[in-house]
Amino acid sequence: MSGKAGKILKDNLWTNNPIFIQILGICSTLAVTNSVRNTLIMTVGVSLATAFSSLTLSAMQAAIPRKVRMIVQVLVISFYVILIDIVLRAYLPDVSKQLGPYVGLIITNCIIMGRAEAFAAANKPFLSFWDGLTSGLGYMAVLVSIAVVREVLGFGSLLGFRVMPQGFEPWTIMIMAPSAFFLVAFVMWWAKTVQAKAAVKAAAAKAGPKPAPAKA
Amino acid sequence: MKKDSILYVVVFTFLVCAAFVFFLALANEATKERVAANRLFAERAAVLDALKIPYGSPQEALDQYEKLLREQPVPEGAGAEKAYRYEADGKTYFAARVTGAGLWGSITIILGADSGLERLTGLQVVAQNETPGLGGRIDEAWFRDQFRGEKIGPRGIRIRTGAEAQGKGDPDPDNGLLDGVSGASRTSQSMQSIVNAGIEALRAIAGGAR
Repeated sequence: MSGKAGKILKDNLWTNNPIFIQILGICSTLAVTNSVRNTLIMTVGVSLATAFSSLTLSAMQAAIPRKVRMIVQVLVISFYVILIDIVLRAYLPDVSKQLGPYVGLIITNCIIMGRAEAFAAANKPFLSFWDGLTSGLGYMAVLVSIAVVREVLGFGSLLGFRVMPQGFEPWTIMIMAPSAFFLVAFVMWWAKTVQAKAAVKAAAAKAGPKPAPAKA
Repeated sequence: MKKDSILYVVVFTFLVCAAFVFFLALANEATKERVAANRLFAERAAVLDALKIPYGSPQEALDQYEKLLREQPVPEGAGAEKAYRYEADGKTYFAARVTGAGLWGSITIILGADSGLERLTGLQVVAQNETPGLGGRIDEAWFRDQFRGEKIGPRGIRIRTGAEAQGKGDPDPDNGLLDGVSGASRTSQSMQSIVNAGIEALRAIAGGAR
């Protein structure tokens, strides 16, 4: 993998993750993460919509007048989202019914427009596609981890299969939106702590070996 | 032409919109029949489920529907959009399609009951726009299954909400009481009024059929 593509991957999954660093797409994080299945479908939808809209917008960028830049971005994003909606309705009607209005709401997911504006507007199409896809994966990684915790504790099941023992009392709070707030906060706390520690370590390594502690 | 001139902006926007809309229309046209077939199956399967008629494959569901069910005229003012009649073992059952207001949009259900309106046979949610994960859970099996064989009280049924709700379904079919969705009291209350309106509609339909 070339250096730039690798850096984009690392950025979107870790150093500049859309959820715990950029804090984007939080609305859907709260809503869909109480079931792993819905979360997977939603995040695959977001990843594809981000990847393809970044690709298209980047390919078109030379022709787009600045005045209507955002209108065109929204148009392209809605195009892909409606396409996903049509495919779900035709081939996965159950999923389409369960996700209901949330498929349409992918259009308003800030990650998609964020990537279109911050990356695709200034980069080559294939790199933009990669950036969109990996941003979606960064979003997926966090949402799926939260969904696993919420589904196991809230329903006692994973992907619909029972994993907890019979006597397990489900935690109702885990099914409700507030639990996603706590869990997102925990993920942010963990990621920022790990990143801050790594930064301190890197700075220390740069400064050279530690001086011996002075005697009192 | 300059990229920032008004003419370019207008022509560009027009062409881009036309092109993308064209492809969407194409995709819509290509899947139209499939979507219509899915919808027909969903609707018929919901009626069968609400009346507790078993079926295996989608084709079998369509066949069962043709064979066993008859559409029933809805008396004026009954409040149902469609009604169905089913006869088995010398008993008559009715199902009605009813729409009412939910929290975010309308909720459409199919409700089945015996002709004496003693017990419900089942409930299916055909369309809803409630919050996924909260109110949207009215479409989950644990919620729907509570309605199977539930006794209809003199004032219909009641759905527990708020602190009263257990969020896992009421096991007693004789109390006319059902469990609401935890965290979705407003949707649960809406379901209570829609189901009770459905019961009234079924009463009018069964009365009209006699």
